[in-house]
Amino acid sequence: MELIIETEALTKRYGKKTVVNELDMKVPQGSVYGFLGPNGAGKSTTLKMLLGLIHPAQGRIRIFKQTLNPKNRLEILKNAGSLIESPSYYGHLTGRENLEIVCTLKGAPKEEIDQALALVRMENQQHKKAGHYSLGMKQRLGLAAALLGRPRLLLLDEPTNGLDPAGIQEIRDLIVSLPKKTGITVLISSHLLSEIDQMATHVGIIDQGQLIFQDSLRALHAHSRCRLHIRTTDNAAARTCLAQKGIAAAEKNGQIILEDASDSSVTRAIRLLVYAGVGILRAEAPQVSLEDIFLRLTGKKVSL
Amino acid sequence: MLIRCIRTENKKLKHSILWLACLAIPLIPAVMGTFNYLGNLEILTPGWHNLWTQETLFYANFFSAPLVALCCAYLWRLEHRNHNWNALMTAPVPVWATVLAKFAVAFRFFLITQLWVGILFLASGKCIGMEGPAPVEILGQLLRGTLAGAAVAAVQLFLSMAIPSFTLPVILAFIGSIGSIYVTAKGLGFLSPYALLMLGMNANHQENMLEGQLFPFLAAVAGFALLFGLLSIIWLKKKDIRA
Repeated sequence: MELIIETEALTKRYGKKTVVNELDMKVPQGSVYGFLGPNGAGKSTTLKMLLGLIHPAQGRIRIFKQTLNPKNRLEILKNAGSLIESPSYYGHLTGRENLEIVCTLKGAPKEEIDQALALVRMENQQHKKAGHYSLGMKQRLGLAAALLGRPRLLLLDEPTNGLDPAGIQEIRDLIVSLPKKTGITVLISSHLLSEIDQMATHVGIIDQGQLIFQDSLRALHAHSRCRLHIRTTDNAAARTCLAQKGIAAAEKNGQIILEDASDSSVTRAIRLLVYAGVGILRAEAPQVSLEDIFLRLTGKKVSL
Repeated sequence: MLIRCIRTENKKLKHSILWLACLAIPLIPAVMGTFNYLGNLEILTPGWHNLWTQETLFYANFFSAPLVALCCAYLWRLEHRNHNWNALMTAPVPVWATVLAKFAVAFRFFLITQLWVGILFLASGKCIGMEGPAPVEILGQLLRGTLAGAAVAAVQLFLSMAIPSFTLPVILAFIGSIGSIYVTAKGLGFLSPYALLMLGMNANHQENMLEGQLFPFLAAVAGFALLFGLLSIIWLKKKDIRA
C-alpha cells in the first residue's frame, strides 16, 4: 500500500497543552481518508501542520514520499489543494475573480476555472460578489479553489459545514467520485461519523490529540461484530449447558450473551439449549452501530 | 513569481475605493497649505518656495505617513478577513514574493499620490496667481519624499500584517508623524521613517534640510525598507497561522 501522507510522532503543543500527541497518520494513495473526531480533538491543527501553516513541536511529515521541510514545501503545496476551517474568499470580488486569483498563484490555466465551477455547480453564481454568497456557496467556492491546479492531494476540513441537506449530499458524492475520476487522494476531517461512513475508504479517529484508531472503513465495521442475546426460562441451566460444550457465554441484564454469533455457533447453541429443556423466550442480535464503537473508543458521544 | 503575486494583488484591489482616498486626502493639505500661505503673506516671502513650505507643513507632517499607512492597512485587511490567511499561506509562492508584492503595490499607490500632490501644488499656485514656472528643486524634494515613502511603507506593511486591526497601525503612523516633528527638530530625523518623509519633502523649510546629507538619507531609507521587509519575511515564516 503506497502512502501519500505519513506522519511520525507528530506533536503540537500550545504552552503546556498538547493539542496533537505523537500522531502516526498513514493515508494510502487514492483513498478517501476520513479523519474523525469530536470538536477540539486536534483535526484542524493536524491538517494545518500537514500544509505547513503550523509548525510541529516534534515529529516528521512525509507527503508524496518527501519529508516536508521549508525547501520542498512549495513543491508539495503545488500538488495539494486545501480547504481549512472556513472557506477563504475576498468578499468584494466575484466568485470567478476569487478563482482567478488562486489560478494565477497556482500557475494553473484559466480554463480550469470553468471546469472547477462546473464541478461544484456554481456556474450561475460565478459573477456574484463572494461576500453575498451563503455559507454553502462559500464552501463550494472554497472547494472549487482547492481543485484548481489539478492537485494530487486534497485536504478538506469539515467541508460540508453550513451546507443544506441537498448540498451536503452533492458535495459528498463529488468527494467520493474524485479518486475514481482523477486518482486524487482525499483527506477529509469531520466530527460526523455518518458522513465519514458514507464517504471514506479509510478512517483515522482522533481524540484529545491522540490517534485512537486507524484502518480501513471495513476494519472499523468489523468492530461492529454482533453478539447474540438470548432470553431464557433458566439462565443458570443455560450457562452450565453451554459451558459443558465449550461455548463462551456470559450473563448480563438477565440475558445470556453469546460472544460468537456466527451462523454455525448460533445453530449449535440453540439446539443444545432446546435439547437441555431450557425454554428460549427470545434470541436477538442487536447491531452495534459505528457510534457505539466510537463511544467505546473515545468514551464520548458524537453527532450523527 | 513576483509578477504573479503583483498581478494577484492588483486583482484584489478591483472594486476598491482606495484610489479615491489617495486622490481625495491630499486635497486637504493642499487647500489648508494654500490658505495658510495666503493668510501669512505679511511674514512670508511670496513665491513658489513658500507655497511649498506651507503645503508640506500639513502634508508631510500630518497626512502623508497616515496615507501610506491607510494603503498598507487596506492591503493586509484583505488577508485578515474571511480566513484568507489560510489561502495566502498555502499558495505555492515564496513568502518573500508575497511581502515584496504588497510592498510594490503600496509603493505604487504612494508614487501616484506624490504625483498628484505635485499636480495639486502647481494647480494651487496657478489658482492664486503665482507667476513663472515652479523651481526645479521642488521636483527633487517630491522625489526624495517619494523614496522616503518606501521606508514608511515597509514599516506600515509590517505593522498591518502583525496587527489584525485596521485603524491601530494608521493611528500609530499619525502618532509617529507627530513625534517625528520633535525628532526632526532635534536633528535625529534619520532614526525615524516618518521623519525621513518630512526631511525628504523639506517640510516647512526654505533651506535644504538634506544639504550634504543625501547619501545618509538614502541609506536610512534603504535601511528601514530592508530591515522591515526582512522582519516581515521572518515573521511570516515563523508564524503559526490561526486564521
